[in-house]
Amino acid sequence: MANRPPYPGTPRWVKVFGIIVIVVVLLVVGLMFIGGGEHGPGRHTSSGEAGGQVAAFSVMEEHALPEGGRG
Amino acid sequence: MIMPPRLRKFALAAHITLAVGWIGAVAGYIALDVAAATSQDPKTLRAAYLAMELIAWYVIVPLALASLLSGLIMSLGTKWGLFRHYWVLVSLLLTIIATVVLLFETQTISYFADVAADPTTSGDDLRALGNTLVHSVGGIAVLLVILVMNVYKPRGMTHYGWRKQQEQRRASQRSKQDEQRKVSQP
Repeated sequence: MANRPPYPGTPRWVKVFGIIVIVVVLLVVGLMFIGGGEHGPGRHTSSGEAGGQVAAFSVMEEHALPEGGRG
Repeated sequence: MIMPPRLRKFALAAHITLAVGWIGAVAGYIALDVAAATSQDPKTLRAAYLAMELIAWYVIVPLALASLLSGLIMSLGTKWGLFRHYWVLVSLLLTIIATVVLLFETQTISYFADVAADPTTSGDDLRALGNTLVHSVGGIAVLLVILVMNVYKPRGMTHYGWRKQQEQRRASQRSKQDEQRKVSQP
């Protein structure tokens, strides 16, 4: 046990990758927060019911808003 | 359990086919997604949304799940292991994240297809429906990162991998010393 070589440490690429992932996650969370927290199919429906059919006018209404982004 | 060489080759070929097929399927999906984002023609939009749902459910989701499974088999059945090398661990985490986001995104895709399939949906409603470009382009970027990582296999062992490697080295040294002792004894 005494002559066991020490752990060489976490490689630099893992640290850089981790920082990039944290920045991307914070950006996505920030954008979702700015966008009102609506995400997924619920943002396309009037009642927020995922995957449900909606009246055509409600779809129009949703996307008439300036912040109602696509994607 | 380490796979024998023939089985390992077969598993590797299957894993490459499934993983690269997943990237190709997403590329095809993006073409439809771009059409959904840019076209003004109701017929094109309707066709794009319906095709997006078919590709997502019958090509992309099965390939994603199969890639994840074949990746697990490849890592557990070879010397690489699942938690020993950072590139394997990062690839696994990114694949799980990509698959989970994909499974959530299928709800949106199915909703678009349901609206597009409704003959009463007007052209204006189809044009206002939206697209999934952020997720599909983001998804293919993540898949390409995983691909590059799997080809280059950047160095770096986890604490667990390092400990296991030291244990194996010590065990092999001990067995060599035992053999030498047996040979030297009269």
